[in-house]
Amino acid sequence: MEAIWLYQFRLIVIGDSTVGKSCLIRRFTEGRFAPVSDPTVGVDFFSRLVEIEPGKRIKLQIWDTAGQERFRSITRAYYRNSVGGLLLFDITNRRSFQNVHEWLEETKVHVQPYQIVFVLVGHKCDLDTQRQVTRHEAEKLAAAYGMKYIETSARDAINVEKAFTDLTRDIYELVKRGEITIQEGWEGVKSGFVPNVVHSSEEVVKSERRCLC
Amino acid sequence: MESAERAPAARDPVPRVDVYGFERPADFDYAAYEAFSSAYLGVLAHRAGRWARLLRGSGGVRRSRTVKRYVRKGIPLEHRARVWMAVSGAQAQMDQHPGYYHQLLQGERNSSLEEAIRTDLNRTFPDNVKFRKTAEPCLQSALHNVLLAYGLHNQGVGYCQGMNFIAGYLILITKNEEESFWLLDALVGRILPDYYSPAMLGLKTDQEVLAELVRTKLPAVAALMDGHGVLWTLVVSRWFVCLFVDVLPVETVLRIWDCLFNEGSKIIFRVALTLIKHHQALILEADSVPDICDKFKQITKGDFVMECHTFMQKIFSEPGSLSMTTISRLRESCRAALLAQG
Repeated sequence: MEAIWLYQFRLIVIGDSTVGKSCLIRRFTEGRFAPVSDPTVGVDFFSRLVEIEPGKRIKLQIWDTAGQERFRSITRAYYRNSVGGLLLFDITNRRSFQNVHEWLEETKVHVQPYQIVFVLVGHKCDLDTQRQVTRHEAEKLAAAYGMKYIETSARDAINVEKAFTDLTRDIYELVKRGEITIQEGWEGVKSGFVPNVVHSSEEVVKSERRCLC
Repeated sequence: MESAERAPAARDPVPRVDVYGFERPADFDYAAYEAFSSAYLGVLAHRAGRWARLLRGSGGVRRSRTVKRYVRKGIPLEHRARVWMAVSGAQAQMDQHPGYYHQLLQGERNSSLEEAIRTDLNRTFPDNVKFRKTAEPCLQSALHNVLLAYGLHNQGVGYCQGMNFIAGYLILITKNEEESFWLLDALVGRILPDYYSPAMLGLKTDQEVLAELVRTKLPAVAALMDGHGVLWTLVVSRWFVCLFVDVLPVETVLRIWDCLFNEGSKIIFRVALTLIKHHQALILEADSVPDICDKFKQITKGDFVMECHTFMQKIFSEPGSLSMTTISRLRESCRAALLAQG
């Protein structure tokens, strides 16, 4: 039996090879961490429900992508149908931070005519002693691109929930305000299954749905 | 650990590390495997006798009707490296270029190539005891050398993720770096049409070809995929890029590779179509994208794929006729369509 959810959002997770995309997603969807993870070849798929407010659940469909550059010829087909994205770099790997700009350019070209709400994620923050990117410069870069910045660790389960739920909440606000709308032929946001059974949040649900029409 | 406690290890005849060095997963079905392997051992013994006679007769192995029939029934492990080398043309290449492999490794280095390879060494077969840093010899260094030499040899390809798994298997079977190098060259350079070059056009083409074959042979599955807007790259990339390594059981992968080296890339479509066709009813139960993804993971597990001998018979009967003419024609049209899309 499918759980009840208000909306379904598709998120994409991108960034250089070995920054920890698969580990972050696994921690979020399966609650576990494997110290070694196979390189992702192509695209993988995960899903989870998140509760953004009591009684309000959003279903997340999360696309995990290969980081090696040549796989972009496959992964870029998945940008178009994503409403949100986590752009990861590894705080112990300066190059992965320098490539953030390139990743954003890459998505811009392929997401047309839609847009993706990105959050910049500095991953592996448990390895603070090996840090090559300061929080300050990452925050500055994120601000320059109009993104939020968050530091996470899949190993120590730091901010993993927060990274996904904050992004989900931000997208939800944009949907509520009508800045992102459900569109035919676009899978980024889908309206969920609302039960006939009256429950406490139904009134809210109704008013929110109206503003999307 | 847990399963060992439940099933007393002393009475367990199936070791927890297989002959290739892979640790069996926690959820490994020992009972099913034992039932299968007791029958399969008989097949292996019989095939070993036939192969011994075949190989004793002539100096080398040449591609022929007999060899094709033999290969489809499985090459015994002790002859596998030699037969792969012969039928793929790798042996001929190695004989024509003596010392070439070692020259590559002694020549000019390429730091970005080395870095890309180094990144994946630790995460290639962490479940294989021979690839552990503590192993003696540790196959990680052989893997590094083979991938580095290949990247220097074929600069248009360099290193592509997925090749680490393929080279890893080659090293496990040949136990020889130079032979692994030439077998990798046979696969990447000749047998597979341009899967790993930066544009990955051959890979994308073949995934489209599979989609077209499914459309013709299994229209209900194609309709399901289209209905949910699922791109084939989502469910089959790994099948093509890793040639079923870490997708299907080890023994089954090796049996597939026996035919791949001898008969070419068409075998990949036969395997893919068999998996899909055999599980068509199960796949059609899916009613969402996550469901479809789950089903495509499910169909690569269980008895059907573990029983490699029956499975290999199935790949030549279940998908029906599949001529090279059809594949070539589809490759041409799919490639043109992809190029037109830009």
